[in-house]
Amino acid sequence: MSDRDERIVDPATMQDIMRHRLTRRSVLRGAGTGIAGFSLASFLAACGGDGGGNGGGNGGNGGNGFDIGQIYAGEPGDQINFANWPFYLDQSKNNEGEVFHPTLRRFAQETGIQVNYEDVINDNAEFFGRLQPLLAAGDDPGWDIIVMTNGRYFTTLVANDWVYPLDPDRRPNFDANAASWAKDPFYDPGNTHGMAWQSGITGIGVNRKLVNGEVTTMDDLANPNKVGTNSVGMLEGDMPDWVMINLGIDPTTSGPEEWRDAANWLRMQQESGTVRAYYGNEYLPELQNENLSATMAWSGDVLYSEVWLQYDMEFVFPEDGALLWIDNMMIPAGSQNPVGAMEVMDFYYDPEIATMVTEWVLYMSPIPQTQELIEANAAQAEEQGFKGYANKLYQTARSPFLYPSDEFISRTSFGRDLRTQEETEEWDAIFLPISQG
Amino acid sequence: MRRGVDTPERAEESRKRTLGSRRRLVPYYLLSPAGLFLTVFFLLPLVLMIYTSLQSGGLLAGGFTFTWEFGNYTEVLGQYQRQFLRSIQYSAIVTVVALLLAYPLTYWIAFYAGKWKTSILLLILAPFFVSFIIRTIQWKFILADSGPLFGPIKDVGLLPDGFRVLATPFAVVAGITYNFLPFTALPLYVALERIDKRLVEAAKDLYASRWQAFRRVVWPLSIPGVFAGFLLTFVPATGDYVNADLLGGPGTTMIGNIIQQKFLTELDYPEAAALSVILMVVMLVLASLYARILGTEDVERAAGAQA
Repeated sequence: MSDRDERIVDPATMQDIMRHRLTRRSVLRGAGTGIAGFSLASFLAACGGDGGGNGGGNGGNGGNGFDIGQIYAGEPGDQINFANWPFYLDQSKNNEGEVFHPTLRRFAQETGIQVNYEDVINDNAEFFGRLQPLLAAGDDPGWDIIVMTNGRYFTTLVANDWVYPLDPDRRPNFDANAASWAKDPFYDPGNTHGMAWQSGITGIGVNRKLVNGEVTTMDDLANPNKVGTNSVGMLEGDMPDWVMINLGIDPTTSGPEEWRDAANWLRMQQESGTVRAYYGNEYLPELQNENLSATMAWSGDVLYSEVWLQYDMEFVFPEDGALLWIDNMMIPAGSQNPVGAMEVMDFYYDPEIATMVTEWVLYMSPIPQTQELIEANAAQAEEQGFKGYANKLYQTARSPFLYPSDEFISRTSFGRDLRTQEETEEWDAIFLPISQG
Repeated sequence: MRRGVDTPERAEESRKRTLGSRRRLVPYYLLSPAGLFLTVFFLLPLVLMIYTSLQSGGLLAGGFTFTWEFGNYTEVLGQYQRQFLRSIQYSAIVTVVALLLAYPLTYWIAFYAGKWKTSILLLILAPFFVSFIIRTIQWKFILADSGPLFGPIKDVGLLPDGFRVLATPFAVVAGITYNFLPFTALPLYVALERIDKRLVEAAKDLYASRWQAFRRVVWPLSIPGVFAGFLLTFVPATGDYVNADLLGGPGTTMIGNIIQQKFLTELDYPEAAALSVILMVVMLVLASLYARILGTEDVERAAGAQA
């Protein structure tokens, strides 16, 4: 059957298919002509790592072989697929009760480009795991913008050429308005692959009525008299760095010795009986429904619950320091519309647009001007008699967790940037067993 | 008379022969859609899994290469024994409890429910109309430490303040049991339904007590259903990770969670694949051991009870 099928395909089409296949580096696609081209070897080569030794699943386009001019040569298409984390974009309801995103509607009005926005990222690891097979095969990942936290998945994406380099000539708003911390971050010199979406602090979220006295330090999370038993949440991904910071260790320069110190603290905490579970994004409902008295928490989550949802909660910056992180917009390789993606990314560096986002998400905006603009909106709301609303905006604009002072920032640190396979494996061997029970 | 191929008898015979061979091919035609489906979605992934489990390398070290890395197996076996044993233990408890719950229930439906049979069966299936995850998350809400169930009881002082169900092994086992109960119940029902009720009457006529009638007539006839229920519950329950993730705590990690973590967090695809292969082999061995012990002559009969 195979011979006959191949003969039926006319040579021009076949050539087309071959070219396509080579450019997309996807053997599977080439095999799409039928089971004809479907050998086990090609299947394995396409899906698994490649036995051929041109590591990382990259063919000729690997290395730094991306040509920015070529990637951004086309016109912006008419649709952009944007993957982000839940509750990370301004949201509103129209008269029919449908939820929409005002800033994206505005973008569509200004440019005619529709953005298909979905909050599908719950976890860096999980989302990376979903994209990885597509990226490794050179297929269209389905997204034009993804948002990843600085750290190992960001690094892995860049190291394997699974994200496109950004075009420095297509981000005037970014150049003009980005905060100094958002420009040229240590994990991405020159913002070659990412632009900050929001940033935040990992501290402690406290249910005021469920704790005895004040929770102010990391050690309080290991003290059953303060926080009770089985009622503390720990953020699995953040806790190694976070514990190191609170033990007075600089995680960015730490080594296995220091990692073990942090692991020892975590074990001590486990033995104290306070820990309920190790969480990802799902700690927040546990805090809200009072299963957790105190938990490692992300600033915006707790602030939003406190300010807008009126929970009796508090975000605590631990006395000995807290972890700082940046979520970055990236363009996955194979994106069908990188030009449009850059346009969206830069659009969010317009201070007015960024203000709309920050008022809603309560994370640290990479655009400092938002603070004045929120303050101005608050004053306006007050004038118009919307007192409650104005107060919430004032609270937002004046929160040290959204607009931290330099002194405050100096007490935070980024996490360890794991760069090599050996480092990563050693790190995992030290920290993962803690939560694996 | 000319000897030729066209005599009516011969034509008839050859027609029969072609028909016969066509008939012989029919089963294969019928098999081919499922066969193709299983080749693409079961056999190939299986081969790929085994292939992956023998790779070495890492995403930060230039990718994975196939090196017959059998060390992956010894490594994970040494490291995750505890979670393996825990999973099998949880799953065994789940299977037994589900059987104890499902047997009387389906027995009653099969023998006494009469015209309500279908409706009651539908009730057993009703939870399936809601997503597995949503149902498990609802458990979290209902069983919250001071939630709608325990909140009031604690307020009256019937339970100590520190009492909780969530984040305990009990919650995980109960959650899995709940989620897999229909998988035990349905095959059991099919097996029990097919038992000729007159056999029980005959047993009683022959002076069997109710218990003897059950033990020597009903139970043996229901064994294919018990076995199918076991397979459908025990095997997936062992690999389940959702319940341990949502309802469990630090001490309830199951092997499914480890595989998930290896795959998604550590990006260690070879070791994740090795763990999966081991899990599969262990399940196969345990299932065939169980079949032996139960005295099922062959799995076909169990499958027959399903049909």
